[in-house]
Amino acid sequence: MRNVTLKGLLAHKLRLALTALAIVLGVAFISGTFVLTDTLNNTFSVLFGNVYQKVDFQVRGVAQLGSGANATRNELPESLLATVRRVPGVEAAEGGVEGYAQFVAHDGKAIQTGGAPTLGISFDPDQQISALRIIAGGPPVTSGDVVMDAGTAQKYGFTVGQRVRIVSAGAVRAFTITGIAEFGSANNLAGATLAAFTLPTAQDVVQETGHLDDIDVVTAPGAGKAVVQRDIAAVLPPGVQVVTGQTLVNENASAISQSLSFFSTALLVFAFISLFVGGFTIFNTFSIIVGQRTRELALLRIVGASRRQVFRSVLTEAAITGLVSSAIGLGLGVLAALGLEALLRGFGITLPAGSLVFEPRTVLVGLAVGVGVTVVAAIGPARNAVRIPPVAALGDRQSDSDVSLRRRFAWGTALAVAGVVLLAIGLAKPAIQLVGAGAVCIFVGAAMLAPVAARPLSSVIGRPLARALGVSGKLGRENSMRSPRRTAQTASALMVGLALVAAISVFGASLSRSSTASVDDAISADLILTANGSGQVSGSVPAAASAVPGVTATTTVYRSQFELQNTLATLTAVSTQHLAGTLILRMTAGTTAALARGELLIDSTTATSKHLSVGGAVPVRFARTGSSVLRVGGIYQANALIGSYLVSAAFFVSHFTNPSLAALLLRTNGSAAADKAVTNALAPYPNLQVQTRAQFEQTQNASVNQLLGLVYALLGLAVLIALIGIVNTLMLSVFERTREIGLLRAVGMMRRQVRAMIRSEAVILAIFGAIIGIIIGTGMGIALVSSLKQQGITDTVVPASRLLVFLLLSALLGLVAASWPARRAAKLDVLAAIAAE
Amino acid sequence: MVLPSQTLTGDTRAAPAAHSVDLRKTYGAGQAAVHALAGITVAFERGRFTAVMGPSGSGKSTLMHCMAGLDRPTSGQSFVGDLDIGKLDDAGLTKLRRDRIGFVFQSFNLIPTLTAAENITLPVALAGAKVDQEWLGYLVKQLGIGDRLAHRPSELSGGQQQRVACARALINKPDLIFADEPTGNLDSNASADLLAFLRRSVQELGQSIVMVTHDPRGAGYADRVVFLADGTVVGDLERPTADTVLERMRTLGA
Ligand SMILES: Nc1ncnc2c1ncn2[C@@H]1O[C@H](COP(=O)(O)OP(=O)(O)O)[C@@H](O)[C@H]1O
Ligand SMILES: [Mg+2]
Repeated sequence: MRNVTLKGLLAHKLRLALTALAIVLGVAFISGTFVLTDTLNNTFSVLFGNVYQKVDFQVRGVAQLGSGANATRNELPESLLATVRRVPGVEAAEGGVEGYAQFVAHDGKAIQTGGAPTLGISFDPDQQISALRIIAGGPPVTSGDVVMDAGTAQKYGFTVGQRVRIVSAGAVRAFTITGIAEFGSANNLAGATLAAFTLPTAQDVVQETGHLDDIDVVTAPGAGKAVVQRDIAAVLPPGVQVVTGQTLVNENASAISQSLSFFSTALLVFAFISLFVGGFTIFNTFSIIVGQRTRELALLRIVGASRRQVFRSVLTEAAITGLVSSAIGLGLGVLAALGLEALLRGFGITLPAGSLVFEPRTVLVGLAVGVGVTVVAAIGPARNAVRIPPVAALGDRQSDSDVSLRRRFAWGTALAVAGVVLLAIGLAKPAIQLVGAGAVCIFVGAAMLAPVAARPLSSVIGRPLARALGVSGKLGRENSMRSPRRTAQTASALMVGLALVAAISVFGASLSRSSTASVDDAISADLILTANGSGQVSGSVPAAASAVPGVTATTTVYRSQFELQNTLATLTAVSTQHLAGTLILRMTAGTTAALARGELLIDSTTATSKHLSVGGAVPVRFARTGSSVLRVGGIYQANALIGSYLVSAAFFVSHFTNPSLAALLLRTNGSAAADKAVTNALAPYPNLQVQTRAQFEQTQNASVNQLLGLVYALLGLAVLIALIGIVNTLMLSVFERTREIGLLRAVGMMRRQVRAMIRSEAVILAIFGAIIGIIIGTGMGIALVSSLKQQGITDTVVPASRLLVFLLLSALLGLVAASWPARRAAKLDVLAAIAAE
Repeated sequence: MVLPSQTLTGDTRAAPAAHSVDLRKTYGAGQAAVHALAGITVAFERGRFTAVMGPSGSGKSTLMHCMAGLDRPTSGQSFVGDLDIGKLDDAGLTKLRRDRIGFVFQSFNLIPTLTAAENITLPVALAGAKVDQEWLGYLVKQLGIGDRLAHRPSELSGGQQQRVACARALINKPDLIFADEPTGNLDSNASADLLAFLRRSVQELGQSIVMVTHDPRGAGYADRVVFLADGTVVGDLERPTADTVLERMRTLGA
């Protein structure tokens, strides 16, 4: 029996290659994701290891909000440095600060990092401690000096001795580059830019004069580290702690892997979607293979093969296929990792470079998933193979019995209904696993039901083709109708891909419309000033902007983290003076006047979910001022700009150190001259964006669209695998119909007409899959959107024209998928029809 | 009714419907070479029913394929009318088969997804031309398949399938029909019906037919029998009967 399996495998290399390709791509995607995230993890670990390698201890504020590397901590008094230095066993101690500082490139634009921070830090003059290694020039000496990271210097063409302007929370200032530095051996801190100043200058730039963020300590050789740590701890005031360098490395590593885990989960979801679609393709291929081998398998039964042997023969074939293709997929995973990185870079997400990491886990998961999917997908066809009665070897191929069709229909309906229920519960909860399970059930159910629709739908879709292409189109249409099950199975893979694409485009269109609507609903200001990238709006901007003639109202917007009812949340603050002229707050309870009294405003959805009402008291905590209780002064309808919690700017400034200005809202007299004057007045701030409401809206939309673009690109692989499925089915059909095609050629069908026939069939298949997919996906998208009403997606938009484009694209892709099988069919030997017996 | 014989002009009537000159077809090379056709020069006259006989493997099918533009000979020429089909490319050969030649094979003559009517008119549809309804009606009536036109091949008996194939072969009023053992899978009644129809179409319509057969009784329907053996013509018999054919076969040692 093993021999039969192996011979079966070898006899059909081509169809196996195509089946395998679906798995290869899916596994490559999975292993690529692992390789990429493992590599990033490793890169960051190495980087932070470098940064803290010389530091034995760090003295820093106790975490006020959050924990680990992302915690908010209070500053230390500068005087603490001397105290720490006096502790016995401390060889060296240096205080440092860190904050926002953004270089301005030679072209006058603020340098952006695509997400990574733009850091300003103090330069440790003590090379024993400093993580920076100067590779050109020297350290900063005067208050006009800066050291630039090598990555930025290379990329933007800066050299020692040049002047560079730097944007900070204060004013924009020009500095002289005295040196270029690396981190250990890395020229750049994972995409971040870095400006290092003398300590006093850094304190000035990041607005922490007289304060330090932390003190790095190196112990004397021979000193007992545990003793030194205890002695340092003993001299620290309350609210300050001392931790080891290793703790810092660990904290940073775990923060990184946490933020990467979201990213890798997202990529893995797409990888599994691809494999799921691949599963359909495999199921289909094995079904066709078993169908084609009915006689052969029945003959095996006649000569004495048991049902179990037949079952195992088919499953073994699947397992071997899965194993080989997973192995190839793993190899390609490295390429996939590079491809994913390039894709993400194309969408503006910069990742640091590092040598690729291939963990054993990647191999295990890749093989397990690849083989698993293949074998599971082959179980159904294998069971069908077992049901073939030995007499089938004698007669012609048997058609499906009514019983199995009816059972299939019942199962399909049950699965689809269960899927809808799961999806609904999952969306309502919300529980993403239930949503996923629901979607899987819906897709499998729909695939089981699709054969019912295949014949009538193919007939309708094919009619115009038959009319346009004559007999070729007609034959293509007939071929797509002759085996509804095969048509449906082939189209199912594309159905899944297009359903997801359609769901995403419904979601995207609704999100766009909602955010567009909400900008006009949220802001009445004429101009919105924000910092680009991860920058901050300088504190001197509000004064400069309000001084511009034509500006009638100015509102400052601050944003930062705080704790409310013991959970971390974002707090927004606005200056109250001209509020009515710039911001639209539709109060459902209380008034905006409460802001001025230092009370908290809450948006209505949050108020409902947290059971808060006007007059209620909420426990809150701020990093600087600690715990207190805020009175709820009003409730407003969800506002796109503000978020959930709002206080006055005056309140905010008194509760935060270095309050960071997030945006500035300006009301002007409406003249173009005023807009221009504002832009001119703010020219000295190269990191500022001055946008009209329409432009602001556009930026919002652009970022939504960019994200959607990335999602489409990632779904593209699933669609590609579905197309491979179509190629595969067509190829198998062409082989199956060798005699028929030969006969057609014998009685006068031109090669061109043969190609048109195969293409018609492919287009019908593709459109059939696309139509069902788009219908299901639109339903899913609408369900998704309506579940997000609370999150501010208030409009449901079905982008009909875009969906139509997807439909046409599918037809086009069907054409592409047909090109190889069509060429193959056209080249078939005319004699094949007659020569065979 | 316009019959094929009446459409033919006098001067082409003189030339045979098809002929070959020193046709050779060799499979394989060197020691293993098989000479399926070892230099065949033969002519099939217009308006006549020619049977081709010979032992299995004697090259009957190969000859038919090479003369009908289904296969290319290793050397030699074959003509349909006075057209040298060796000079045609694939598209030219396809057009030739579609418009000027009819085929009836032993089995698998019909496209399973098309109805009987669609199968009959397939060559016309492939040419993108209009079906001559009068002619179609005549054929259908002659073959007695009028009540089967909407059926698919799987719903037809073997004899009906072959009759549909005959109708298809005739639909374009071809110069020549090639039939390779068309009755090979039929019982004697169905065979007799089919052969009688072929005979009639030669007699009444002036159709030219070349038919490969094993059956001396089948050959009895023909005007002439050409005998093949080992890829060469070994005999020629005018106005055959089943008996004379059998006798000739005996003398040829087949
Ligand atoms: N494709 C082929 N490859 C090799 N030999 C072939 C091929 N087709 C036919 N032959 C050989 O050519 C000879 C003639 O075959 P054929 O014309 O089919 O004979 P017939 O139709 O008279 O039975 C036979 O010996 C056959 O084995
Ligand atoms: Mg033969």
